[in-house]
Amino acid sequence: MRDLKAVGKKFVHVMYPRKSSALLRDWDLWGPLVLCVSLALMLQGGSADSKDDGGPQFAEVFVLIWFGAVVITLNSKLLGGTISFFQSLCVLGYCVMPLTVAMLVCRLVLLASTGTVSFIIRLIVVGAMFGWSTLASTAFLADSQPPNRKALVVYPIFLFYFVISWMILTFTPQ
Amino acid sequence: MDSSDDIEDVSLFDADDDVSRRSKKSKIRHPVASFFHLFFRVSAIVVYLLCELLTNSFIACMVTIILLLSCDFWAVKNVTGRLMVGLRWWNQVDDDGRSHWVFEARKVSAQGGKTSSEAESRIFWLGLITCPMIWVIFAFSALFSFKVKWLAVVMMGVVLQGANLYGYIRCKVGSRKNLTSMATNYLGKQFLRQTMATEDQAAS
Repeated sequence: MRDLKAVGKKFVHVMYPRKSSALLRDWDLWGPLVLCVSLALMLQGGSADSKDDGGPQFAEVFVLIWFGAVVITLNSKLLGGTISFFQSLCVLGYCVMPLTVAMLVCRLVLLASTGTVSFIIRLIVVGAMFGWSTLASTAFLADSQPPNRKALVVYPIFLFYFVISWMILTFTPQ
Repeated sequence: MDSSDDIEDVSLFDADDDVSRRSKKSKIRHPVASFFHLFFRVSAIVVYLLCELLTNSFIACMVTIILLLSCDFWAVKNVTGRLMVGLRWWNQVDDDGRSHWVFEARKVSAQGGKTSSEAESRIFWLGLITCPMIWVIFAFSALFSFKVKWLAVVMMGVVLQGANLYGYIRCKVGSRKNLTSMATNYLGKQFLRQTMATEDQAAS
């Protein structure tokens, strides 16, 4: 239907980040929800917790992603951005897609081996996807700011995706 | 005779017209929409209450509740509100980038074109109002019993269902003159029906 097509179009836009206003104009939060849930599902069950349900980790990842996105949006709005609240959430959520792909790749690599080689592969993949996410989201978000404030907006986005990448990289299955 | 055409509509064919109108108003025109309107909300609440019994995994419960809440939000916002009570609301971004919220209510035509049935309206508003209140109660109970891991889900429930409630209430009371004219219309019809009924009784 109409909504599904809109979501699909946005995913394509993230893969090839061009400065188009389609992502900004019709925002929707379905893509971010799906990405967030799948990322949280893939990240659970990986720490040295004694509890055998991955419960708190799922909720942690979920809350981290959404709370982080909200904080970045508030930051950009307080700095005088022209983008609206939900549009910014939409862009940040969709740009988590490369990192979700990285998580998938990491899990597959970890199925094969857990040695140094796999770590280097994972590092390269996660680093590349992190750069892609940050570039894609700044391509959309930094434009809405006056030029002397671009760095102030880019830095929290950088930090946000860095934290997610760190969680992905340090994921070790039990 | 010409001037009392309206009254003639009500009085001469009062008996069966009234019954048919009453049955039309209480018939549910969109049974599928009504069912799904209540189904997602109630099943989200039921899953939240019974999750301890159903499965050991917290994650399965959480994902299920999140999916049900999202489906419910989408269904109520896009489908059931429009079909059952003729209201809709959305966010519009202009060409210059500013966004504003639009709230619309379908005008009730005097010829009786597409009036919403009372049963559907009752179902809609009942479901819309009681479920967010239940989620707020869950929020307080999770907060005070320190079950913090459920707080994320409950917050999501409160936010999504509260947003729909707020949107539809704003649709309903948005155009104030529409509301007062509808109220006058309704009261006028009630009064007319009362007088016709008493006349009927007096006559028979």
